[in-house]
Amino acid sequence: MLNRMAIALFALVGVLISAYMTAYKLGLLGTIACGTGGCETVQNSPWAVFLGLPVPMIGLVGYGLLMVTALLGLQPRFEYDRRVAVVLLAAAVIGAAFSAYLTYLEATVIHAWCRWCIVSAVLAGLILLFSVPELTRLRAGGDDLTDEVS
Amino acid sequence: MSAKRRQQKNAQAGAKNMKTFYVLLAVVAVVGIGAIVYSMNRTTAGMATAPVELSMSSADSLLQTARGVTMGSEDAPVRVIVFSDFQCGGCGAWANRIEPNLKAEFIDTGKVHYTRYDFPLVSIHPHAFLAARAARCAEDQDLFWEYHDIMFANQGAWMYSQSAPVDQFTQYATEAGLNAEEFTGCLRSDRHADVVTANALLAEQLGVNSTPTVYVGQRRLGNEWQDYDAVRAVIQAAGGV
Repeated sequence: MLNRMAIALFALVGVLISAYMTAYKLGLLGTIACGTGGCETVQNSPWAVFLGLPVPMIGLVGYGLLMVTALLGLQPRFEYDRRVAVVLLAAAVIGAAFSAYLTYLEATVIHAWCRWCIVSAVLAGLILLFSVPELTRLRAGGDDLTDEVS
Repeated sequence: MSAKRRQQKNAQAGAKNMKTFYVLLAVVAVVGIGAIVYSMNRTTAGMATAPVELSMSSADSLLQTARGVTMGSEDAPVRVIVFSDFQCGGCGAWANRIEPNLKAEFIDTGKVHYTRYDFPLVSIHPHAFLAARAARCAEDQDLFWEYHDIMFANQGAWMYSQSAPVDQFTQYATEAGLNAEEFTGCLRSDRHADVVTANALLAEQLGVNSTPTVYVGQRRLGNEWQDYDAVRAVIQAAGGV
């Protein structure tokens, strides 16, 4: 259960960062607190849009999904539900892979570092780490669910 | 301790942990949302009116960030590059007098590819940086040149303003057909401060020390930029016949 608490907490921070960056992207923010100007460069680069969607918005949806699923997974009813484990694992792996790709772009193509993006990448890594125990739940999920129903 | 009692104790501890967790989650959410709302209301304070510090690790990264705004065909035989400052009178003369002729005779006919880089001389022109950013905000809505023309046509109305001429810039945005709300959001931020700063750094790296500085191909024009016939002759000599 502790791992799901950690995932929910990290995902909440991710939601907040993504919301902040989305607000900036939509022109709702005066200035972006970044320090180096790198956030500007990254957010205004062609790579800030993926499949027609602003990257922060994708982050908002991804972290939101992770947070809601982790919170659901904390409820006794869903604690051993295989679907929760599957969604958490899949979202964590996709999120971490996407973050790694974005970090690679910052380092080698855009040549600028956005601090918020780095924090987000670290969060994605931590979420992946804390989602590893879901593998055990996935294997034992069916039996446990039966136990609970009975 | 009996097994039942131990179970009860564990359940109580679990419930307490959950409560602490939810409180922590709520605190993080409230603090985070509060910070975002505060940032959204703090628009004027963050308006970039001067160059920003860039994390440029190499000449390559400068070239990645610096970016001119272009007109004309990529395949044109002659390249013209201009380093310009919206608050400089000479740049106004270039934009109002020379550029329209250049556009009609060479750019629109595919003979010249034209690139304009920002070079705001902030030490003598306090509104030049903001003006350059304003034009970039117009570029976001694909109306850079329209906005550029209005800014230079009205240069005298804002260049001596005591305070940042945000209202005039916004009015010109409306005249140019821009979405005013989107434009204002951009202007009252530090958006594009990095590109404008990088353009100025690029100009300095190239040894440009005045505006307007005009290059026709490799050749840097002297005072002949003031005379359209002279500019035409240089372009024709460079192959733009």
